[in-house]
Amino acid sequence: MAAPFKPFTDSPIAYVDNDGNPVAKMKSAFSDDDLKRLYRLMVLCRAIDDRGYIMVRQGRAGFLAQTAGQEASQIGSAFTLEKKDWVFTTHRELGAALTKGMTPGQLLAHVLGKDLDPSKGRNMPSHYGDGELNIVTPSSVVGNKTPAAVGVAMAATIRKSGQVAMCYMGDGATSEGDTLAAFNFAGVFNAPAVFALQNNQYAISIDVKHQTKSRTFAEKASAFGFDGYLVDGNDVIACAEVSKFAIDKARSGGGPTLIEFLTYRYGPHSSADDDSRYRKKEEIELWRNTRDPIMRMRKYLTKQGLLDDASEAKMQEEIKHVVEQGLTEAEASPLPAPETVFDHAYATLLPHQIDEKIEIFGHA
Amino acid sequence: MAIETATKTLTMVQAVREAMLEEMRLDDTVCILGEDVGPRGGVFLCTEGLYAEFGPDRVIDTPLSEAGILGGALGMAMNGLRPIAEIQFIDFLFPGYDQLYSEIAKIRYRSAGMFKAPMVIRGPYGGGVRGGVYHSQSPEELFAHIPGLKVVVPSNPYDAKGLLISAIRDEDPVVFLEPKRIYRGVKNEVPEGAYTVPIGKAKVVREGSDATLISYGAMLHVALEAADRLAAEGKNVEVIDLRSLVPYDGETILTSVKKTGHAVVVVEAPKLGSFANEISAYIAEKAIEYLEGPIIRVASIDTSVPYNLEKYYLPDADRIVKATKKTLEF
Repeated sequence: MAAPFKPFTDSPIAYVDNDGNPVAKMKSAFSDDDLKRLYRLMVLCRAIDDRGYIMVRQGRAGFLAQTAGQEASQIGSAFTLEKKDWVFTTHRELGAALTKGMTPGQLLAHVLGKDLDPSKGRNMPSHYGDGELNIVTPSSVVGNKTPAAVGVAMAATIRKSGQVAMCYMGDGATSEGDTLAAFNFAGVFNAPAVFALQNNQYAISIDVKHQTKSRTFAEKASAFGFDGYLVDGNDVIACAEVSKFAIDKARSGGGPTLIEFLTYRYGPHSSADDDSRYRKKEEIELWRNTRDPIMRMRKYLTKQGLLDDASEAKMQEEIKHVVEQGLTEAEASPLPAPETVFDHAYATLLPHQIDEKIEIFGHA
Repeated sequence: MAIETATKTLTMVQAVREAMLEEMRLDDTVCILGEDVGPRGGVFLCTEGLYAEFGPDRVIDTPLSEAGILGGALGMAMNGLRPIAEIQFIDFLFPGYDQLYSEIAKIRYRSAGMFKAPMVIRGPYGGGVRGGVYHSQSPEELFAHIPGLKVVVPSNPYDAKGLLISAIRDEDPVVFLEPKRIYRGVKNEVPEGAYTVPIGKAKVVREGSDATLISYGAMLHVALEAADRLAAEGKNVEVIDLRSLVPYDGETILTSVKKTGHAVVVVEAPKLGSFANEISAYIAEKAIEYLEGPIIRVASIDTSVPYNLEKYYLPDADRIVKATKKTLEF
């Protein structure tokens, strides 16, 4: 497949500039409806993220890793995945989980650790997963999931299932050995995997200069024999276009791709982090006020005549309703029953667990 | 009516190979991945001939990376296959230990059962072959301690084949440790075709009434040697082959210890924090009123495994005899 983009560029691939103007020669193949859907998903993602943050502030949720600022890279990358495809999330992939099909009710139930969360609140918040959608409930260990993503992709090849594995990671994950082992396997086995690397410029407090001496993260792919693309991660059209190319390439036997999405998180690493210790407020304001992915897409759609004040207001109203309804569902959902604490360590309880269960609950 | 079952005299290497061969013929989702498992047939020849029969999609030679092998096998298991990950020496598993500890063992629990990892992690382990520091270790307790894993250690070819078939068919990840000291030295009659030995069931391999020796793997044979010597002195000891560490067969242990009143647990790992501790504590909790002497652990010394002085490191029959007499004479 002839690549419509150049790999390993020094400047990021973009379709739309910060003022919402099209970049010369970059023409998207997405329909107007698709572009509007991308925009709506970003606005909805931000609204759910904001709601989660409010719940942390209210003391109703114990933890959150905010997504705000990274909507374009997550939603654009997941936009053209099929239901059968696999998604390996990290601890921040609200946008990817939403795009793949998790509902606002499930996502907010996850933040509250409720039964409606497909993972039944087993993990800390911001670890979204759903077996029905092949969204793998993530581990918190950075870089660890990447080998399994490649294994899933290898199995897809062996079983001829036509599935693609989309594996999210951050800039920090590229320093972990397991990530590099996975890249190597992906190359050797030509695995149908897409590595969606969101370079949000910080691994907690460590900035990219202290993470790598490479000029880009994308170029690391060259050492493993496949292409890496540097993409403007706040340009949702560019994110979706390059991802679609990589997904289609993987599905048609073209092997893996690494995509570095250059982006920025507005919030601290998590609700337990104090980012004032390592970055300036002005830097956050610069990104939020001049490079925001939602604002950029709104300007673009408006200039293209696809959005006006009335349709924007209508959509905002609809999203407010959807989020409130999701919150109602999440709040109405019970906590999982105490006895379920033993479930799913194994397919069935083992004898020593039965002893423990009797000790704690008085019955097996 | 007696049913004639054809058997062959096999080594453990051959039994392990047969288990994989039978299951690969029966179930085309079963596959093997690891270093040198393809045309080379594995460095101990456990996969000999399998590449020729099943091809590169099912007998997969991988790059030299245990994290890749274990994490890759996990993904394959999550996506509908039943992979067998061969680790060339269990000592070399540790670059991939995080995959075992954080991912393979926890995927079912952390996803509340939405994802599972029906896979086998198998390889040679243990000392007695002059393998030195990095080809001799017995780290079974480092696997047994992880919720989500099962741990199996056969002591003979018959059990090896039947337990490995059970492990391949299991819905959970099973760490299958093959005592390489008896890879070829111990042979027995192994039925042709597929059969299972259930995971979690111990076996009383020698009956006795004076004391109970509990062991597994290569040490079982050392325990049996000690039992012979004790018998020559008129002490009649029972020997239990644990076979599975997780889950372990508490019932068989308690039945025996309640009968004999004495327990000696023999393991090859260094003593501190070893699986002998779990068995000892279990007996103490459940049957202390039946004991007529201390529970004694016989284990390797708390050092790494020396190449040249290994005979002072590993438990031998002398140490087991001495320990058994100590509890009997209490």
